[in-house]
Amino acid sequence: MRGLKLPLSQTQRVRLQRAFEKLQSLSAMANSDASVTVADTIPVNYEDAFLKGHGTTDLNGELVATVCGVVERVNKLVYVRSLRARYKPEVGDVVVGRVVEVAQKRWRLEINFSQDAVLMLSSMNMPDGIQRRRTALDELNMRSIFEENDIVCAEVRNFQHDGSLQLQARSRKYGKLEKGQLLIIDPYLVKKSKQHFHHLEQFGIGLILGRNGYIWIGEHVEARDSMVIDQAKSTEQSTVVEGINQAYTPLEMRQNICRIGNAIRVLTSLGFNVDLNLIMETVELSSSLKIDIHDMLGSEFHVLVAEMEAERRILTTKRKR
Amino acid sequence: MVGLSVGEKHFIQGGIAQDLRSDGRKRLTYRPIYVETGVIPQAHGSARVRLGATDVIASVKAELGKPSALQPDKGNIAIYVDCSPTAAPMFEGRGGEELSTELSVALQRCLLGGKSGAGAGIDPTSLVVVEGKVCWDLYIDGLVISSDGNLLDALAAAIKAALSNTGIPKVNVAADATSDEQPEVNISDEEFLQFDTSGIPVIVTLTKVGRHYIVDATSEEESQMSSAVSISVNRKGHICGLTKRGGVGLDPSIILDMISVAKHVSEQLINKLDSEIAAAEASEEES
Repeated sequence: MRGLKLPLSQTQRVRLQRAFEKLQSLSAMANSDASVTVADTIPVNYEDAFLKGHGTTDLNGELVATVCGVVERVNKLVYVRSLRARYKPEVGDVVVGRVVEVAQKRWRLEINFSQDAVLMLSSMNMPDGIQRRRTALDELNMRSIFEENDIVCAEVRNFQHDGSLQLQARSRKYGKLEKGQLLIIDPYLVKKSKQHFHHLEQFGIGLILGRNGYIWIGEHVEARDSMVIDQAKSTEQSTVVEGINQAYTPLEMRQNICRIGNAIRVLTSLGFNVDLNLIMETVELSSSLKIDIHDMLGSEFHVLVAEMEAERRILTTKRKR
Repeated sequence: MVGLSVGEKHFIQGGIAQDLRSDGRKRLTYRPIYVETGVIPQAHGSARVRLGATDVIASVKAELGKPSALQPDKGNIAIYVDCSPTAAPMFEGRGGEELSTELSVALQRCLLGGKSGAGAGIDPTSLVVVEGKVCWDLYIDGLVISSDGNLLDALAAAIKAALSNTGIPKVNVAADATSDEQPEVNISDEEFLQFDTSGIPVIVTLTKVGRHYIVDATSEEESQMSSAVSISVNRKGHICGLTKRGGVGLDPSIILDMISVAKHVSEQLINKLDSEIAAAEASEEES
């Protein structure tokens, strides 16, 4: 119930409490002895040689946790992984970022990390698709590819030796994102999965779950040769702007985008992991109960979603046994 | 404030044009309002209002003072707003001062009326103790903790809630006071008079984006506005104040249209706010 500030009636409060209790009882059975808070001693066999990892410290000869989290053991390494940390990038993560600066031969993107990530010009496909060296002319035309405040989807390539992050956007599915909305949630709610790009055919909507907590919901654009179109756009900026004015997103697609957006907002305020199945179930719950899109952010729907999730988890744990 | 890409701006404008904003609201729908009263026990009255991600606190403190010579039968009310640096990075140091003065002036205009005190939303004559000699000075302070657009409406709602939470101590005046001396007053610690807040107006801000107006804009939508008009309306449907922000000029017929839209929206808002304040006071008494 952390941070859930909603006007709840008495019955709604009771129902929500009950749903959370069910969920807590399910997770407590899993690994109750592995979670620690600050200054808890970590159960370790002191006779074995072990390595003290992140989040631990030696206090009076005992191994004590310095952060709240879950104890992880990998071979001889013992460390505490905190649950609500800042986004910790891993190589190969799909992230969504916003361009904050166009610098020499690179773009700097803000990705909800302690530093801005760098997307080199050489890590982007050129508009004409030819693999070649980037010339000075390419550098001058960087703005025609990405400008400031553009939303870009890319993949983490590696960490530089000084700790900064490098991204790459070589595949067709990465690149500039338009015609949609960006949602910012806590990064720990997006777990690593096989697919981060989701194409919802029945709505015609593309959903990108960035591991850094930036989620993009928008019209689905086919993995296209967008760079070719962009070149034509840059030479006819004014006419394109007028064209855009007449071509707003159609109402039905917009309704679906808003419904999915609100489903994600409800899940994050309740603290549930955001993945495609849960989002689709929430959306179906809201449309089956004919709940108005804006009412999805009201207290009744929050309580319903919490109850639905509690039921679903009870069923899955029963099936596992 | 974070910038927005061209695609996002286009999406927001399209949503407003099609009457379906980013979170599913219609153009004239408010975000859910959450009110808590009595958050500052040392003040005579206080309230915290959450409007989506916008979070503001208002507090009311009363002190005995002397009424001004021009208006001996009225008390003094001062409204001041402070934007905390936790609300946005640009408020750090003196960055928030401009916005603070703008909000304070707008609230004073909407709630306190003109210089002569005419047309005030809050009735200052109820604050006088001994005419010409002793009156209550009300200091209303607003604090912006988190800013996601529509600060003026949230502050006005918080002030209304804080005033309904305010208990002014009862004052006993020594009966045998001559006309020249300052009368002795005895401030009671036990008995409190509740402020009458049924006449206090609410502020409805209409933000014009493209050809349409929206109510309760988020900060993303406010970045797209051409102009905004804040209208303070009371329960009877009377206009108590009007403020226009934004550089784009407006045709007078549009302003009249906005006023009628604001009157229509304010009815629902006043009812919703009153029920939320009543619920907040009830839960405060329970705890």
